[in-house]
This record gives sequence, structure tokens and C-alpha cells, in this order.
Amino acid sequence: MTLRTVLRNEWRLLRADRALGLVLGVFALLFAYALANGMAWVDFQEETLAAAREGNAERVESLETELQRIADGGRPSSPFRDPRSPSVLGGAAGAHTAVLEPGPLTALAVGQSDLLPYYYDVSIQTNESSFLQNGEIENPLNLLVGRFDLAFVVVYLLPLLILALSFNVLSGEREQGTLALTLSQPVSARGVVSAKLAFRAILVMGLALGVSLLGVLFSGGFGSPGRVALWCAAVAAYALFWFTLAAWVNGLGRSSAWNATVLVGAWLLLVVVLPAGVNITAGLLHPLPSRVEMITAQREASNEAVNQRSELLARYLEDHPELAGGVAADEANRAALAWAATDAVNRRLEEVTGVYDERLAAQRTLARRYRFLSPALLAQEALLDAAGTGDARFARFRSQVREFAERWRTFFVPAILAGEQMTADVLPGVPAFRFVDEQMREVSARAAIPLAALGGLLALAGAGAVVRLRRVTGPGS
Amino acid sequence: MSTQAVLETPATGEAPPIPVRAAEFEDPVLEARSLVKRYGDLEAVAGLDLSIQPGEVYCLLGPNGAGKTTTIHLFLGFIEPSAGRVRVSGFDVARNALDARRRLAYVPEQVMLYRNLSGLENLQYFAALGGRETLSSERLTDILVDVGLPLPAVGRRVGEYSKGMRQKVGIAIAVAKDAEALLLDEPTSGLDPKASREFSELIETLRGRGVAVLMATHDLFRAKESGTRIGIMRHGRLVTELSTDEIGHADLERIYLDHMQE
Amino acid sequence: MIRHIVRKEFTDLLRDGRFRWCAAIVGVLLLVSLGSGLVETRRAEAAHSAAQETARDHWESQGEKNPHSAAHYGIYAFKPRLPLSFLDQGVDPYTGTSVWLEAHRQNDFLMRPAQDASAGQRLGALTAAQVLQYLVPLLIILLAFGALAGEREQGTLRQLLATGISRRDLALGKALGVAGALALLLIPAAIVGSAAITVGSPGPAATPLARGTVLAAGYLAYFAVFVALSLAISAWVRSARTALVALLGVWVLNGLVAPRVAVDLSKWLHPTPSAVEFARTMEREIRSGVPGIERPDRDETAARLLAEHGVETVDDLPVNVIGVYLQESEEFANQIFDRNYGALWNRFEQQGLVHEALSVAAPLLAVRTLSMGLAGTDVEQHRHFATAAEEYRRDLMRRMNGDLAENSRTGETYLATADSWAEVPPFQYDAPSLAWVLQNRTLSLAMLGLWLVGAFLVAGSLVRRAEVA
Repeated sequence: MTLRTVLRNEWRLLRADRALGLVLGVFALLFAYALANGMAWVDFQEETLAAAREGNAERVESLETELQRIADGGRPSSPFRDPRSPSVLGGAAGAHTAVLEPGPLTALAVGQSDLLPYYYDVSIQTNESSFLQNGEIENPLNLLVGRFDLAFVVVYLLPLLILALSFNVLSGEREQGTLALTLSQPVSARGVVSAKLAFRAILVMGLALGVSLLGVLFSGGFGSPGRVALWCAAVAAYALFWFTLAAWVNGLGRSSAWNATVLVGAWLLLVVVLPAGVNITAGLLHPLPSRVEMITAQREASNEAVNQRSELLARYLEDHPELAGGVAADEANRAALAWAATDAVNRRLEEVTGVYDERLAAQRTLARRYRFLSPALLAQEALLDAAGTGDARFARFRSQVREFAERWRTFFVPAILAGEQMTADVLPGVPAFRFVDEQMREVSARAAIPLAALGGLLALAGAGAVVRLRRVTGPGS
Repeated sequence: MSTQAVLETPATGEAPPIPVRAAEFEDPVLEARSLVKRYGDLEAVAGLDLSIQPGEVYCLLGPNGAGKTTTIHLFLGFIEPSAGRVRVSGFDVARNALDARRRLAYVPEQVMLYRNLSGLENLQYFAALGGRETLSSERLTDILVDVGLPLPAVGRRVGEYSKGMRQKVGIAIAVAKDAEALLLDEPTSGLDPKASREFSELIETLRGRGVAVLMATHDLFRAKESGTRIGIMRHGRLVTELSTDEIGHADLERIYLDHMQE
Repeated sequence: MIRHIVRKEFTDLLRDGRFRWCAAIVGVLLLVSLGSGLVETRRAEAAHSAAQETARDHWESQGEKNPHSAAHYGIYAFKPRLPLSFLDQGVDPYTGTSVWLEAHRQNDFLMRPAQDASAGQRLGALTAAQVLQYLVPLLIILLAFGALAGEREQGTLRQLLATGISRRDLALGKALGVAGALALLLIPAAIVGSAAITVGSPGPAATPLARGTVLAAGYLAYFAVFVALSLAISAWVRSARTALVALLGVWVLNGLVAPRVAVDLSKWLHPTPSAVEFARTMEREIRSGVPGIERPDRDETAARLLAEHGVETVDDLPVNVIGVYLQESEEFANQIFDRNYGALWNRFEQQGLVHEALSVAAPLLAVRTLSMGLAGTDVEQHRHFATAAEEYRRDLMRRMNGDLAENSRTGETYLATADSWAEVPPFQYDAPSLAWVLQNRTLSLAMLGLWLVGAFLVAGSLVRRAEVA
């Protein structure tokens, strides 16, 4: 009853106040701009991926033509590019580009998708060092600053809108004198503040979620309703946190000016200073292992492997006795020897990289503990996870590409060792990459952690607000 | 010195004998027992006993700082008493503030409203908060006109209202609530004589309907006009209680000034 | 006269608890960021120089080998950290840290630190530059928003002007008072900073003190702009509260909105190709050349050499045809690389110009570009290093191919001696001079100057016209 009455009154007040309408209008524009930006980025990625897929098809087609020509009695155009050789067919000439489709909600959050590679060329030359790639071409300056996407607007600017609308939700009523009449009615201050905040929350979240859903609609993200729901939950939890914080501060019974100062300070601390402080602390206490050292280790590993080249084939065949029959036993097959050397290098690289990756993962786990200090970091994590542009989905892509490279090798290497000749008939059987996207279950399990932490912060602020507001019984002096 | 009962309240919280009246058999709507409100060392209300029956208009007179507004705020539950009890229609304000407020209407000294809304919209809002959301706009408009707001002003923004007009909206809010008790804090301050007169008539109507009215005021004339009983407060105490039937205007002024001089 | 105002403002601010708290927080953050930056830079620089030495060892200890094999083996170049990079890590986390210099290819810089960090890292790191660019202006706003609006509200402005002091003096006094309070914070930081520069300067010499001085001047100008802006708005609007809201709005636009708008605008005006497109173009051009840049042909090279030396068969030639051909291929490929990478770098530079130009709306963009430039962590200096590394690669290939061409005959198996690798000079990088940096940053310098002059003029005019009550 109180709720409906207050909502209707707030709506009237909003319509009568031009400044408030203006603020909301400006934010609607910012949201629209951010969305347009995100959608342009998705278009760019999709064009790129289309080109990559086209490249795959073209390579297969030209190999097929060449193989057909040779089968019809033609000569290979170059002895080094004879597609009948499995090391050519499975090498750069026949490489398959493994692509990661943009996350279902990339239009809402560019996230890491401008920094991390979303396609890799896979061939028999693929090894651990192939994963040291730059990803999309992007000006480092632009990477540094980041995009104006919805996630940015939600994390940085939305709290400001919320605080602008709610910093004086109770203090303003007191200062303009209406609180006395209000509280002489059978309503509690808590009820009135809740209702007033509910009104603002409906407006703000209606705007944020409405624009989000619009973005989803335009970019066809409704294919994963679970992610959309997660996104909405993250936006809602983060927004509610700020509303609750405003309620708490209002419950302290100070002036509107004081509330504004404290809330802007809180925003600055939680959104600007803490994430930066958390990042620098994590970097100092748990420095990521140096890639530079990894390069040196990789280099040494491959030097070693190359120096032992002569012993390699024998050892390789010992390890893979099933292949020994196919290899001409009298004289080492050139291709087989070359492969044996490559394989040895690859194994050593895997070892070195494995050690590095473990250390990296350990340090990152330690560093990520600090994110619980900042709702902005938590919200960003949940938003990116929901959008599919966070670190996890890219890590999953990398590991699937690793598996795919293994499949690729399993397909071509026996033929290399056996010195087989390939024909056009094998082409349809050549492995093709297909990204198996995360199950909604995994995504929600992962996003549940930041969401729960955000919920905890929300509950904390909520408890503070309830305790303080319960003490407000009158209009004060 | 006239012969009517002049009761000095004792320093302790003992209930003073109250003049026997016809209404004594009914339960009081507004009741304060040994009410104390302290702010640090200062006793804003120091052992107040008050009992107001339906159809009574009780006027609290007293200088600034005598504790009149504090008393009203105690009835509203805006502040908690340091000792003693406040009841509204039998509901303990400390325990059931909302039930108490449901039976109370309040007009503050300065009626402050939402400047960007019209008088009608303000009335709709506060009436709805008070549990009268079913009242139609026509009915609320009638109430506004009845309390003396010119019809064309009803739909205009309150920002353009004079103080008297805002005061009338405040009274309309109280009327619309149809409450058992009415708390008025300096309701006529700043009103012109005509408006003041209309106000008295309004109080008279409400009294006729059996509403219990507690009115804090400086205005001796208005108190004599509208009140059925008058209490004079000083330093948080009720120094005397008079029945308006028994005294004339001149008497009241003399008694008041006598008490202020000590 | 001004002296009295300055002293009063200064004392007033120092006694203000809010200022003391805020200044203490910003001061601590500044010192922490300086310290952590220094630790991080030294750690990285130590790793890089160790790796560079090891890379050289690898190169020298190749043993007997054909020079072209050695060219394929190549060498890694690691990007050094310049002495001032502890103040501002700039784009360093987003540029690769090392490049493999090998035959036939100009490789990309790989291993961007940001790729290993988590997404949260992109919400910013607390570097000294961030504190100076974001938090100090905020502190200035807090110090100065009420300078005139507050005095007007309290009614003291009328009283002040009644003493006969000019408004210009009043405003100047206020500005100097704020500056004095800030100095308490900035001077210790500057001392720590310059001590760090003089005591421990890792990385290649890059006139760190001169760069540091200009950097300090740039930041002082930036702060002065904020002092003037705060005074201007404080004089202009009616209440201190409105002044605060307006200034916070300016801060958000300056620090949060404008930089990201600059990103989008720069990408829209100067789009970069996708990596797929870029690689395809390069591959196509390397395979078949472009008009004016013809791909060399081994038979043609042989024929030309035969004609030049007037001999009949390649066996009679004093040079190895393969060595000559390989070098010609290198030079062909280099032209293709220059075309493509050059165009890409130019795009980046144009995008950078958009960022700088947009500083007309946000002084942060000017001071940030200047700061990264002087710290040696901007895109241009990354390019400078990349160019140096590529020149080294080209020289290395020239030497290897020359060795092959001159010391062997066509068709014979040639192995260079194990000690010949040490004759190749090691990779030595010289950071660009201060003049080079400033020349790149003229637009930012001009914009900062423009802001400084503009802000003071506007402040002067608004203070002169400010209402007294």
C-alpha cells in the first residue's frame, strides 16, 4: 500500500522535475552509444571469422584441385609443395584456422576479446609457442584505455546515476520539510525510503536491463537465455548494492551535502582506487612469472632437442613401436627424422610451458582473492563471464585448440612416418575444429562466486541500512 | 484572581486531579502519563500528564521552549520518551507507533509540501499514505475547497502557493484522514485574520464530529475561541489548566502573564 | 596583499580535517605507487637484461653451422625498460616484450603482459601516473570548489572585498594557497621520484633527469589547469554544492568518458585491418610481389652474376649464388614489410593523434600522452624499439648472407667456424633523445599550453564578473 502510493508520487515528482529527466536522458544516450559500440565490435569479429572460414575452404579447395590434377597425371607445381606429402597437406599449406565465435553477449561487454586471440592456425607445426600470439591487431593505446561498452557504463557510470538519484532520498525530504507530514502518517521511515529507492531502482534497472535486452535482441544473444539471466542478475545485484549503500548513508541522518560527499567518496574508493590498489598489491605480492624467462627456457629446450637429433628417431620409434613397421628400417626416412626432432622439441616445450602455466595459475589464484574487496571487480567478473568475454572462455578455447592440434597430429603423423602419399580422398576426413561452448551449468557455477560475494556486500549494506533506518522515527530537528 | 480551579502540578509525576467533566466516562483519545523527555541535562518535558477526550479541543499555551512541540512529537512517536507513557486511543505509541499514527492527524507549524506537485496531488499522496487511497479526486478537491483553498489553486503547483494556502492543504490532509485525534502545532501562525477565523470554524466542525484536538499555540485569542480546555506550559511542566467556559479573554491573558513572570 | 590571502588560505586548508585526510590518502597512494613501480620495473628490467645476455650466449655458442642455418636460428630481442617507466607503465602491458629476429620474416612482438593478467587488471593499476592524472585533480577540486562559492554563501566574500582588495588578487591568492597546500604533498613525492631516477637507473640511458624535469613541468601545468578550472566554476555558480557537482562532472568526463570516446573515435576515423586480413595481404605480397617491388628469381640472379663476372658456370663464380639470392630475397621482403608494417604503424600514429586532438575536451588526454612519451612507454617509443630491432635483424641477415656469399661457392657445403658468431656486434638499443620525444608530442604540449592559458583567462574573467552575494 505504502509502496504503491510512494511509487505513484515519485513518478509524479520525476515528471515534474526537468533536471532529473535530463540526467536519465543523458544516461539513455550513453547506454545507446555503448551498445552501438559493442555491436560494431561484434560485426568486426564476425567479418574476421567469416574471412578465416573462407580461408579454410579455399585452402581445402586448392589442395583438392592440385591433388586431382596430380592424380590425372599432372606434375606438382613445386617439389616443396607437393600436397601428396602428408607433411605438406598437414602443414601450413593445409592449415585449419580454429575459430572462437564471439561470446553470445559480446555486444554488451567487449571484455578480453580485443586482447586475447580468438583464432589460431592449426597445422602439424602447431606447438606450445604457437599459443604465444597477439590476437587481433589493436593499437596498444586503445587496449590500455578500453572500450566504451555497456559493461563499462554499468561498472563505472551506473553507480553515479544511482547515487545522483538517491543521495538525498531521506535527507532531502527532511530538508524540504515534507518528512514531518510523511512520518505523521502510519508509515515507517524504512518503508518510505524502501519505496522511494524501489522507484529509482525500477527506473535505473529498467533502463540498464532494457538496453541490455535490446542489445541481446539485436545481436541474437537470446540463444543463451541462461547467460542473459546471469547478466541481468549481475547488473541487478551491482545496482542494488549502490542503492542499498545510499539507503544506509541516508539512515545516518546527516545533511544531503554530507551524504553526497560520502557517497561520491565511496564510489571513488570502490570503483577507482580499490581495483587499482588491488591490482598493484596482487602484482607486488604475487608477481606473474616472467614470460621472458619462459622464452629462454623454451629456447634452451629446443636447442637440446635439436642437438640430440641423431638419437631421436630411434628413441621415437621405441616410444611408438606401433609405427616402427611402417618406417623403412634400413635408412632413416628424412621426413620421419625431421618429425622426430620436431616432436622432441614439442615435448620439451610442453614441459617448460606446463611449469610456467602452473606457476601462472597459482599466482593468478592468489591475486584474484583480493577482488572480494571491490564490488566493481566482482561485477566486472560476473558481467564478462555472463557475456562470454571473460578469461575462462578464452582459456577453454585455447585448451580445445590444443586438443585439436593433437588430433591433427594423430591424423597426419603416422602417414609422415610411414612415408605415405595422400590423395584427394583423405580431405573429407581431415579433422575440423568446432568449439564446444561452455555448459550453462559451468558458467553459472563460476559466476556464482562473484555474484554471491556481491550478494554478501549487498546484504552487509542492507543490514546497515535497516539498522540505521529503524532508528529514524521522526523528521529530526 | 478568579475563583476557577488553578491547579499547580506537583513536582513529582503524581497525577493532578482533573476537573470533573461530562466526558470523564469515556476513554481518553490522547493520553500522557508522567511523560518525561530529556536532552542531556535539559528536561524538555518534565512529568506531563494530559488526557484529552473525544470532542475536546485542548490548547497548550506557553512561551518558546516550553515543551509544546516536544509533546506533540512524543504523541507522534517522532521521538521516544525518556520516561512515562504516551497513548493514542489506547495504543502505546512507543510500542505501536504505526497504530497510533493511523488514528492521528498532524498539521505542523510550517506545512512543507512537494513544490513540484499540485495541492491536490500532495493531498492524494498523503491521504493515501494515511490509508485513504480510495478517496476520489472529486472528494479530495471538495475537501480542499471546504478548508478554504480557492478552486483554481487546487491544480496549481504548490511552489506557487502562499504560506496560508500550504497551511490549508495541511489541514485538508488532516481532514481527509478522518482521524480520531488532531495534533496542531501553531496552526494559525502566519495566517491572516480571515483565514484564522475560517480555521476556528473548521476546528469547531471537527470537534462536533467527536475528534480530540491538541493544539499548541501562542495565540491566546484563538485558544480562547477554539479551545474547550487550556493548559499553560512552562519549562516542560503544565503550570495550570483552565476550562474556557469559566474564563474571559482578559482573564486568560492575565493568568498567562502571571505565570510567565515568576 | 596577496601574501595575506595565501597565508590565510594555506592555514585554513591545513586546519581542515577533510584536506588532511584526503591529502594523506593521496600522498600515501603516491608513495606506494612510486615504490611499487620502482620494484616492478627493476624486476622486469633485471629479467630482460638477463634474458638478452642469455640470448646472446645462445647465439655465440651455436658451434659450426651454415650461416643461413644460424640466420634461421636467429636471436631474441627483449624490450628494455626505460628508467622513467616506473612512473608510468603506459602501453607496456599491451605491447609485446620480445621479438624473434630470424631469417625471412619480420615477426610481431609477442607476450603482452596483459594477456597473462586477469580481466580485472584492465580496471587500472595504481601507478604514479594514475595517481597524478586522476587523484590529484580530485584533491584540487575538493580544495578549491568552495573557494569563492563558499565564501559567498557564508557572506565573507562581501566582507573581504570591502577591505579594498582586488578580485584578481583574491583569486590569485586562493590559487596560490591551494598550490601551497598541494606542494606539501608533491614536493616529497618529487624528491622520492628524482632520487629514484638518479640512484637507480636501469635500462638504456635516456636522459632520465631531463625527461623527469619536463614530466614534472607537464604535470604541474595539468594541476594548474585544474586549480584555475575549479576557481572559475566556483566563481561562476551560485552555491558551493553546485560547484562541487559541476567539477565532479568535469572530472568524470575528463577521466572516464573522454578517453574511451577517443578510442572509438580513433578506430572509426582510422580503422586498422583485422589480423587475418593483414596476414593474408602480407602473404600474397611476399608470394608474388607488388608492382614496383618484384620478387627476385634465383635463375635471374645467377644469370646476372654470370654476366657481371663474365664467366660461364656458377662454379666459376667467386661468390655463392645462393647467398646473393638470399640477400636479395631479404631485401625484397623488407620492402613488403615496410609497406605493410609501416602502414599499420602510421595508422596507430594517426589514432594516437585523435587521442591527442580530443584533449581539446579533456586535458587528461594531453598530459597522459606527454607522460607516456617522457616515461618512454608510448606507442611511438615501442615503434622506435621495434624499428631498432628490425634494423638489427636486417644487418644480421646481411652479415649471414654475405658470409655465405663470399666465403663459399655455389653448391658446396659450407660451415662457418664456431667462433665466427661472436664477431657479429651485439644488439644495442639507444633510447630516443628528449628532443625526439617532444617533437612527437608537440600536439599534446600545445594543447596543454592552450588549456593552461584558456583556463586562467576564463578563471580571471569569471572571477571579475562573480557576484558578491
